[in-house]
Amino acid sequence: MGTNWRLLDTGSISAAHNMALDQVILNARSSNRVPNTVRFLQFSPHCVLVGYHQSVELEVEENYCREHGIEINRRITGGGNLYWDESQLGWEIYAPKNTPGIPRRLEDMYRLMCESVVAGLDRLGVKASFRPTNDIEVGGRKISGTGGTEMGDIFLYQGTLLTDFDVDTMLNALKLPIKKLEDKQVDSFKQRVICLKEVLGCLPPMKEIKAALAAGISEVLGITLEPGGLTEAEQTALERELIRFRSEDWIRGMRIIPQANDLRVAEYKTRGGLIRVSLRLDRNRQCIKSAFITGDFFAYPARSIMDLEAALKNSSCQPDDILKTVRQFFINHKVNIPGVEADDFCQALYLASGKAGDSSVDL
Amino acid sequence: MIVQKYAIPEDLFYDTHDFWIKVNGEEAVVGLTDYGQSNTGDILYLELSRGGEEFKQGDRFGSIESGKWVGNLTAPLSGVVLECNHEVASHPRKVNADAYGEGWLYRIKLSNPDELKSLMAAQEYGAWIAEQENSEEEIG
Repeated sequence: MGTNWRLLDTGSISAAHNMALDQVILNARSSNRVPNTVRFLQFSPHCVLVGYHQSVELEVEENYCREHGIEINRRITGGGNLYWDESQLGWEIYAPKNTPGIPRRLEDMYRLMCESVVAGLDRLGVKASFRPTNDIEVGGRKISGTGGTEMGDIFLYQGTLLTDFDVDTMLNALKLPIKKLEDKQVDSFKQRVICLKEVLGCLPPMKEIKAALAAGISEVLGITLEPGGLTEAEQTALERELIRFRSEDWIRGMRIIPQANDLRVAEYKTRGGLIRVSLRLDRNRQCIKSAFITGDFFAYPARSIMDLEAALKNSSCQPDDILKTVRQFFINHKVNIPGVEADDFCQALYLASGKAGDSSVDL
Repeated sequence: MIVQKYAIPEDLFYDTHDFWIKVNGEEAVVGLTDYGQSNTGDILYLELSRGGEEFKQGDRFGSIESGKWVGNLTAPLSGVVLECNHEVASHPRKVNADAYGEGWLYRIKLSNPDELKSLMAAQEYGAWIAEQENSEEEIG
């Protein structure tokens, strides 16, 4: 790519400011008024963000957020609900879709973008890797989730980086597939994510983290980053867009697609132990929004269950499709769980999704 | 015809945003092509314009989400929405499963039929796909 890109660091600002800036920079780049841009962003106060097509009502514990001063807003990008505390770092990349070296096919593009952040983490001594579809993980545990959008020929790709993370607040602020579970299972859920502080034993200064990520992005994309600020036109546009991004119309969504968020749990006994499945289902669209699987079986490799959860996310909840997803996963990942077969997981998933009798629990 | 595993029915028009357009007098039915749905991946959400909405060629007339990516649906022709496919809005994976059939998106009334000249025939769209695929291979 070999060109100079702008490096923006917009510091800690409100959710509405950050969401409005996404739109402003995308507009500015789309009309060729600013160069390709990498932005670092942080939030203050802490906030919950839903994905562009999500419903706040279905994704956010609104009373908890109100009581704890947690802002709520909507991203212009896709994906699920997120909790951002003030210690997290966001990163964003704005460039044309036809930039030489950037794949047009989305899944290849995700990989390249995530690998640029993986290279940055490597400079901090963190051995991270890309996990399809679009996460970055350390030892099977998620450290960065990503998503994107486009305007005309310009894309915005963005991600989180968990630095020092307040998991308990996240669990309270979001509607997740673990409500009403036992403490042991909640602890297991917490093991699905990891932050920089936990990996490194201490948290490097934010300046150092940003420098490492910028270097990784520059290296992988083959670009030179030059620190810069918002243009006057972007500042003016920000003031204008803030009105929209603070409005209930934006936050609640004017045209939210009919969807649902049923939390279902089920247990299924096998020779190798008990499988517990907790699903968030969207019955309107017949898909599994997220899955959480625990039990007293032993899986090899140990990360198989977390990878299976990732494979099930946003997949169809039709029995035939569940069967296909799970069987394929077991083959591709060479999963070995003594006394538990791929079809046992299917049975547990059928129970939770209400496709096999009535023994699941509707919470 | 099939180009690089993607179906391209010969009786349709196409544009570079990967829409197919089936013209019937002053009306047209539009949807995402096989190549378009394959590039997009499993479609999770579709937000479609409502009946009666007017748009110009190139305007945003809906949004699509797959794998955390929100993309715009860009109108291939100017017109008015006569009908949107409610079934596919509720079950967007139908676009992946049957892009040229049950996965249709809009029935529209054309407001500027001259714009049909800007669209591609199947042969031309096939060549365009081959070009896109080759450039992907060069990136490697």
